[in-house]
Amino acid sequence: MKTEWTLKILWGSLLLAGLAFPLVASAMEMEDCLGCHSEIDVVGEALLVDAVKFEHTVHAELGCATCHSSVTDEHPDDGAAVSRADCLDCHQEVGDQYMQTAHAENATCGDCHDPHQAHGLDAVSASDMNEQCSQCHENAAVVEQHSEWLPQASLHIAKLPCITCHTSSEEYKIVLHISQKQEDRALSGYEISKYEDLKVYSGAKEIKGLIDINKDNFISLAELRTFNLNPAYKALHLDGTLFPSEASHDLTTLDNRYDCSFCHASGPGSMQTSFLALPTPDGSFARIDVEEGAVLDALYGTPNFYMTGSTRSASLNIIGFIIICCGFIMPIGHGTLRFLTRKNRKH
Amino acid sequence: MAEKKKIYLQPTPVRIWHWINAFGIITLTVSGAQIRFPEYITFLGSYKSAIYLHNTAGFVVAISFSLWFFYYMFVSRTMANLYVPKAADLKTGLVRQAKFYFLTYFLGWENPHHPTPENKFNPMQKSVYLGVMFVMMPLVSLSGIFLTNVDPLRELIVMVGGLKLLAGLHFLLACCLIAFIPTHVYLATLGHTPMEHIKTMWSGWEDEETEEAGTQENKDELASRRAA
Repeated sequence: MKTEWTLKILWGSLLLAGLAFPLVASAMEMEDCLGCHSEIDVVGEALLVDAVKFEHTVHAELGCATCHSSVTDEHPDDGAAVSRADCLDCHQEVGDQYMQTAHAENATCGDCHDPHQAHGLDAVSASDMNEQCSQCHENAAVVEQHSEWLPQASLHIAKLPCITCHTSSEEYKIVLHISQKQEDRALSGYEISKYEDLKVYSGAKEIKGLIDINKDNFISLAELRTFNLNPAYKALHLDGTLFPSEASHDLTTLDNRYDCSFCHASGPGSMQTSFLALPTPDGSFARIDVEEGAVLDALYGTPNFYMTGSTRSASLNIIGFIIICCGFIMPIGHGTLRFLTRKNRKH
Repeated sequence: MAEKKKIYLQPTPVRIWHWINAFGIITLTVSGAQIRFPEYITFLGSYKSAIYLHNTAGFVVAISFSLWFFYYMFVSRTMANLYVPKAADLKTGLVRQAKFYFLTYFLGWENPHHPTPENKFNPMQKSVYLGVMFVMMPLVSLSGIFLTNVDPLRELIVMVGGLKLLAGLHFLLACCLIAFIPTHVYLATLGHTPMEHIKTMWSGWEDEETEEAGTQENKDELASRRAA
């Protein structure tokens, strides 16, 4: 009995040591790998890895050797080919979805996703995502094609990630970005601000402080209004878009995307939850919760995010209703007196 | 001694404009209601149909407004005379007309204003139409044009205060114009018969009862001409 327990403890210790060793080794390996692969002069453009971007990806946490397991301590002197893991080893579910689509015949995972820069849905902007699509789908052609049935096609294409509609995700999330005017363009030259752009405004402080004034990691409606009314940030404005709640790769286009009801007839109730996505130094984005209903504020919550039908302001509805009612004062009031005094006008 | 004669009060271009405008505004009201409240109002089928109809009707009303403006400004050249209240209108005319609508009308008195092709509108009409035709209609059309071209005009929209300000302005101006409809239609029934003014807007001709003594307003006008 005692021998059995001793064996179990021994096996357990060996297993733990085995698990712990690769973690240490992979951490060491990544530093070694990036020592060469982050230098374009050493490895050339094809094998270059942007260390800053890679270090903030989930893939970096796994270490280089997880995907490139054939690399030895003698690499590259051993001349051995470097193995690459199959994306589907880990991403089986999205892979299965994707393989069912026509896209699978034309593009591999790597054609759209750089594994050394890949981020989750929460950490990318709409324009970052659409860049993958525009590698094959030329923007002008996409706008023209959508114009055949979609009102304001250019606006929709410019503002939304393609996968908000071409997705099987039923739900969506409202995501706000800070955009700024691009000085080199005459009109409509607004693009999502990068980290360094906003650093110009925040100086030594965190860029989050531009909006999250009390730094509680939560954006209130009052903070949004303060940001939008601050004359110092005149060149900045808040852009809004809709992200699918879940990332899917089946690229289905649900019927409700065609009749506009998905976004525009979903009512103010669906507009309650929103996030602000701020750029980070590594080029990705970090989301912060925004106060419920902020995008429904009549004027200064999100002055440039307005979706007909959905982001209507309740207070403006009431004012409009009162105005229309005033139009009936004359017919009803005057009409009643007219009826009562009708005998006076019988000449 | 009163005698009846017919006067040609509403020329053809004005009548065409008026009815295009009337049906256009009704279409804009219904489609606009569906665009703003799509979960509750579905008169026009899909949301897309409502958008297309609203944009088309808006375009038609804006073009018809431009033609109306062109006609009065450059063809008949009576715009200022018809739509801009004169000093006498503001000093005494407004009060006199308000007194008629809210008091003497109920006592059975005659309307102090007798329309002529050169002076169609009473002082109250002039003031209201000045606001409706020269402030509200241009602003609602302009804001509508901006809202249908958000992407190319983004910078101008940001400059004027943002998309929400523009959409809010468009909505409230539309509410003002909608509120004007029942008042306008009701006041159109205050002729000698309820259909008198409405028929005039269809045929162009109005029965005019002229009195030898003339109205107070006509006397004022004569006096002001003599003084000039």
